[in-house]
Amino acid sequence: MAEALVFSIEEFSTFDGPGIRTTVFLKGCPLRCEWCHNPEGQSYENEVIKTQYGCTNCGECLKSAEKTDSGYVYSEKSILACPNRLLRPAGRLYIPQALVDELSKNINLLNKSGGGVTFSGGEPLSHPEFLIDTLKLLDNKTNRAIQTSGFCSNEIFKAVLENVDYVLFDIKLVDDKQHIKYTGVSNRSILQNLETLVKSGKDFVIRTPLIPTVTDTVQNLSEIALLLDGFNIREIDLLPYNKVAGGKYAAVGREFKPSFDETKPPHPHTEIFERYDIKVNIL
Amino acid sequence: MTERVKNLLAILKSGEYKKTRTESCADISDIVKEYSDGEKDSLSLKIMLESESLNAFRGDRIGFNRKQIYHPKYTYTNGKAANASGPNNITPDYAFALNNGFDSIKETVIKKITNCEEEKRPFYNGVLTAIDGVLEYADRCREDAKAKGIDDLYKALCHIPHKKAETYYEACVFMKFLIYTMRCNRNHHVTLGRFDQYMKPFFDNDVKRGVTHDELLEITEEFFISLNFDTDIYVGVQQGDNGQSMVLGGYDLDGNDMFNELSEICMKASMELKIIDPKINLRVSQKTPIERLEFATEMTKLGLGFPQYCNDDIVVPGLIGLGYRPEDAVNYTVAACWEFIIPGKAYDIVNIASFNFPAAVETAVNNGLLTSDTYEDFFEKVKSAIIDRCNGIIEYCNSKKFQYSPYFSLFVGSCLEKGLDIADAGADYNNFGVHGAGISTAADSLAAIKKVIFDEKSVSKEELLEALKSDFEGYGELRNRLLSCPKMGNNDGYVDNIACDLMEVFSSYLNGKPNSRDGIFRAGTGSAMEYILSARRVGATADGRKNGQPYGSSFSPSPNSQLDGPLSVIQSFTKFDLKKIINGGPLTMEVHDTVFRNSDGIKKTAQLVKAFIDLGGHQLQLNSINRDVLLDAEAHPENHKNLIVRVWGWSGYFIELDEPYRKHIISRTEHKY
Repeated sequence: MAEALVFSIEEFSTFDGPGIRTTVFLKGCPLRCEWCHNPEGQSYENEVIKTQYGCTNCGECLKSAEKTDSGYVYSEKSILACPNRLLRPAGRLYIPQALVDELSKNINLLNKSGGGVTFSGGEPLSHPEFLIDTLKLLDNKTNRAIQTSGFCSNEIFKAVLENVDYVLFDIKLVDDKQHIKYTGVSNRSILQNLETLVKSGKDFVIRTPLIPTVTDTVQNLSEIALLLDGFNIREIDLLPYNKVAGGKYAAVGREFKPSFDETKPPHPHTEIFERYDIKVNIL
Repeated sequence: MTERVKNLLAILKSGEYKKTRTESCADISDIVKEYSDGEKDSLSLKIMLESESLNAFRGDRIGFNRKQIYHPKYTYTNGKAANASGPNNITPDYAFALNNGFDSIKETVIKKITNCEEEKRPFYNGVLTAIDGVLEYADRCREDAKAKGIDDLYKALCHIPHKKAETYYEACVFMKFLIYTMRCNRNHHVTLGRFDQYMKPFFDNDVKRGVTHDELLEITEEFFISLNFDTDIYVGVQQGDNGQSMVLGGYDLDGNDMFNELSEICMKASMELKIIDPKINLRVSQKTPIERLEFATEMTKLGLGFPQYCNDDIVVPGLIGLGYRPEDAVNYTVAACWEFIIPGKAYDIVNIASFNFPAAVETAVNNGLLTSDTYEDFFEKVKSAIIDRCNGIIEYCNSKKFQYSPYFSLFVGSCLEKGLDIADAGADYNNFGVHGAGISTAADSLAAIKKVIFDEKSVSKEELLEALKSDFEGYGELRNRLLSCPKMGNNDGYVDNIACDLMEVFSSYLNGKPNSRDGIFRAGTGSAMEYILSARRVGATADGRKNGQPYGSSFSPSPNSQLDGPLSVIQSFTKFDLKKIINGGPLTMEVHDTVFRNSDGIKKTAQLVKAFIDLGGHQLQLNSINRDVLLDAEAHPENHKNLIVRVWGWSGYFIELDEPYRKHIISRTEHKY
C-alpha cells in the first residue's frame, strides 16, 4: 500500500483555500526554491530535526549524533535523550486510511465552515499514489484541495485533478532559465499543467510568491499577467516574501543562504495586474 | 472620532492630568471611633468627598476624577486599619439610582430610619450619611461646573444625582458619579454590567428627541475615556486589573435577542478608542448571527483581548442549576474578570478561593501512588485528595468575616428594604465561587501516570517519584517520555476523559455545599493569577512540568504541551458538561494577528468562535497575539510551546524559529497599534 511521510498537519490554516481548513504537508519536493521556508519538507528521507530554541546545551542529544562536515546528524536515540523534548522526526509515516482517520476528528467543524482539507508540501504531487488514495477516501466527506508547484507529469496531474475540488497553483517565474536557476527545475510541465487545470473547469487560484529581485520584477510579473490574461484568469494571490523564511534551516542542520537580497521589501506591482483587469489579493 | 474625543484621548495618553492629584491623607480615627464599622466607612466617604472638588479636564464633560489618591485613615472595631480594598467584584444596581435619583432614595431611607428596629439603625444611618455626603459633593461640583463654564455638565448636575436621569448624557454622567463615589467608598472592581440594557431607555429617549447616532457615539466615547482616567490608582493585581467589564447582548427568557443599537455603539466606541476600559464581553448563543461574530472578530483583531464571549446556552441553565431564579439567571453579567454574577442582586464572593488541581494530584502521588495497584485505585486517592482540599477550602471560606459597606449595599438586592448590609447577607444571593486552577496540568499528569505506570508499565512508581522529587535532574529521558504522553487540548479522549473525571469530582462535591451566609459554594474553571501563584507551590509534575512552573491560564492547555491546533483545543475543552462548573473561567486562545490580514481571516475566526459556541463552550477569550507574549516567549521559551506565529503564507511554532527570525517577528509587532 502507498505510504508517505507527513511533516506537519496544521489546523485552522486560514490561507489555504475556502473555509476553515486543515493542511497536510507531505514530505519531499522535486524543487529547490531558494526561498523555501519548509526545508524539512524537501527531502523524501526522514531526518531528525531539533528546535534550537529552549536548548540548554546539555549535550545529551549529541552523545548519539553523528558529526559530519555540515554539522550533527541526530539519531533516533537523540530524540529520546533530550530532557526538553526538542528533537523529533521531521516526518511521520502514514497510510491513507490512518491519515484520513486522523483528519476525521475535525471534519465536522471543517465542513460546517465550508472548509475542508488541503494537501501541501513539499510537493503533494510527488506522492501521486498516496495522494490519490487519500483523496478518494475523502470523497464526499469534505472539500479537498491541493496546494502545488504544478510540477509533475501531465498524466499524474490529470489523475489527481479528478479527485480534488480546489487547487492552489503556484506560478513563480515565467522565464524558464530563471525558473531553473531559482527552483532547480524547468517550468515546462508546470505551464502544461496550468493549461490542463484551466480547461478542467475546477475551482482554482493562482499564487505567486513575491521574492525580492527574483519574482517581483516588472518583467516577471508582466509575463505572469500576460499568461493569466491568455487563460482569461482574472484573479491572483500574491504572497510577499518575509524575512523569517529561513527560520527553520538550523532545525535541519542547514544554513539558509539565498543569493537574492532578502532585506529588500518585495514589490507587488499591482498596477501591472490592474492593466489586465486581474484582481490582486495580497496575503 | 470627533475633535472633543481626540482631545480627551490625548489628555488620557499624556498622563498630565495625574499632576493634579494630592498624596495627603486625613487621619479621621478620632472622628469615627464611636461609630459602627459601616458608619465609619460612610463618614470616611463623606469626609473624603469634602476635600474633593470637580476635577474635570480640558474639554471633559463627564468629570468626577480623583484628586486624592488615598482614602482617609482609621481602624475598624477589630483593630484592623481600613485599607483601599472594600467590598468589590460585583455589579451594583445602577438602574436603581439612574431611574430614581438620590432625593427619592433618601426619602425612603429616612422613612426606614423612623420606623426601623433599633439594631438596623446603624445601617440606615450609614446609608444616609453616605447619601448626604455624595449629594453635598454633587452640589459643589454643579457650582464648580458653572464657574468653570462647563455648561453641559452644569445643566446635567441641575437634575442628577438628585433627580433621575432623563437623557443619555445625563445617565452617563450619573454613571461616572456612581462609580467615582463607590471608589471613594473603597469599593473596587466595580463592574459595569449590562450597560446596553439599563442605559437603553435613556438612549431611546435621545433617539426620539432627534439626537443623532454620531452624537450618541461621541457621548459613549467620552464616558469610556473617562473610565480610564483613574485606573492607575485603582486596586488590582496588575494595572488594568480593575474590573471595569461591560457585558453586551444576551437573550431574555423568551429567547429574544437583546443586542441593540446601543450595544453596537459601545462596540464601535471601544474599537475606535483602543483603550483598556471598559473591557467588552459579548453574550452569545447558537442563535447569534455569524455577522455579529464577524463584527466582534474585528475587535479581536485590534489585539486588546476583547471581546470575551459568554455562551448563554450554557451559562443560563448552569446558573439555574445552582438555584438562581430563571429571571435572574438570564440577566447574568460578569464580575470583574469572568465570574458569572447577577447584577444588582448578588453579593456572591465569586473568587473567595482557588482550588489547585495539580496540588491535589501531587498529594495523591506522594501519599498513594506506591500503594495503588491499578489506575482506578490511584484515581480513588486523587478523588480523596480533591475532597480533602475542598473541605479545607469550605472551612476556610466559612470562617471569613465580611466588611460592611452601607453605601454599596444601597445598590444590592433588598439590602435597603431589609435594613441589612451586604456584610450581613442582605443581598438576594450570597454564594461563594471557587476557581479551579491547573486542570490541564493535572489531567496531563494523570494521563502520563496512567500510561507509563499502569498501562505500559514502562516506568516504576519508585523511579517516577524519585524523578519528581529531584525535579527531573538526572531523569532527562524519563522527562522526555512524560512530555510525549497525551496532553489535554489535542482532542485525545485518553487525557480529556481524565480531565472530565477531575472536574466531575471537584464540581459535584463542591456545588451546592452550604456556606456561612445561607448561600452555597459554586465550582469554576478560572484561575485568576493562581496559574502562576498556586503553581509556584507545586513541585515537578508527571506531565513533565518542572517545579514551580506556571499552569495554563484559567481553562487552557498547559504551556508544556505541543498542540495540534485550535480546532482540537476547542473540542478538548468542551467535552465536560460545562453547565456543571459554571463559576466562570474562559478557554483562552491566541491567534496570530496576521490571520486577520484579509476579510477571509475575519470570517474564518468568527466561524471558529461559532464552532466553540455550538460545541457547548461556556466562555472564550480569543486573543490576537501581542508583543508582550512574544517577549515572554523569547525569555521563557519552555512556557510557550503552543505559540503559533503566522509568518508568510505559512505558520510555525515561534520557538522553532532561530533567533534572528524570532527577533524579527517581535519587531513586527512594535508598530502594530
